[in-house]
Amino acid sequence: MKEFKLNTNPKIESGFKTPDDFFDKFSANLLEQLPKNEPKTISLFQKKKTIIMMVAAVFVLALAIPTLIKNASGSNEIDTVTLENYLSYQSNVNQYDLINELDEEDIDNINNTNIVLEDKTIEDILINNNNLEHYIIE
Amino acid sequence: MLDEKEFIQQLLNPKTQNDAFQKLLHTYQKPLYNHIRNIVLDHDDAADVLQNTFIKVFQNLKNFKGESKLFSWMYRIATNEALTFLNQKARKSGISSESLQNKAIDNLKADVYFDGNDIQIALHKAIATLPEKQQLVFKMKYFEELKYEEISEILGTSVGALKASYHHAVKKIEALLTVN
Repeated sequence: MKEFKLNTNPKIESGFKTPDDFFDKFSANLLEQLPKNEPKTISLFQKKKTIIMMVAAVFVLALAIPTLIKNASGSNEIDTVTLENYLSYQSNVNQYDLINELDEEDIDNINNTNIVLEDKTIEDILINNNNLEHYIIE
Repeated sequence: MLDEKEFIQQLLNPKTQNDAFQKLLHTYQKPLYNHIRNIVLDHDDAADVLQNTFIKVFQNLKNFKGESKLFSWMYRIATNEALTFLNQKARKSGISSESLQNKAIDNLKADVYFDGNDIQIALHKAIATLPEKQQLVFKMKYFEELKYEEISEILGTSVGALKASYHHAVKKIEALLTVN
C-alpha cells in the first residue's frame, strides 16, 4: 500500500468555487444594506414631552397621597352591615348573649322606637314562626 | 494598504467611511469568503455568513480598540459567525454538528459550486473526523496558507500549540487517506 503524504503529493485544493461576478454583486448588495450613519436628533417636542410627563406625574402623586392616607386611616372602622353579617353568620354569639349586653337605656330605646305593624303582618309572622309562641309564653 | 491606524480613522470618520469600507470589502471579501466556506462548506451558507460578518465588522468598528490587527479581528468575527451558524443550523435540523458536516460533504458532489474530484471529497471527509480546533488549524494552514503567527492571533493559541495541532491533523488525515 502506498503511503499518502500531504506535503509530497501535489497540493489538494479545497475545490470550492463561487458564481461569476459573485464578489462584485456581494459588495454592491452589502453597501446598500449597511445602516446609514445619521446623527441622532432629539426633537424639541420630545424634550418638552418628557418634562410635561414628569410634572404630570408629580401632580398625580400630590393628589393621590392625601386620598391614600385618608383611606388607610379609615380602614380600621367596620361598617354596620359587615358587623351584622359577622354576628349572624360567623360568630357564636346568640340572641341571649346580645340580650345580656343590653342595659336599661338600650331597652328604653327599643321600647320608644315606633314600629308600625299592621295586624295582618303580625298574624302572618305568628303563623309562620311557631317558635314565637314559645318566646311569648316565656 | 495605508497605515492601519490611519485606515481605521478613515473607517470611523463619517466623511471617509464609505470609501474606506469599500476598500476594506475589496481587500478582505475573498479571503474571508474562503475562510468561511472552508468551515460551512455550502456556498449559500458561506454568502450569508460573509454578509453577517461584514455587517458585524461595520457595526463594531467604533469598539475596535486596535489591540490586535484589523485582519485578525475580522477573521475572528468570521470564525465565530461561521461556527455559530453551523451550531444553529444543526440545532434547527435536530442533528449533531458532526452529522450536519458529513451531510454537507455528501452534498458536495451535487454542488454546482464545488469543482472537486474523489480525492478532494476524501480529504474533506478526513478533515471532518478531526476535533473542531484541529479542523480550523488545518484548513487555515493548508487551504488558506496563513502563517502560524497569523493563525495564532486569530485563534488566540500559541504558535507552538498550533504547530503541534497541525502536525497531529496531518498525521491523522494521511493515515485515513492511505487506508482509502
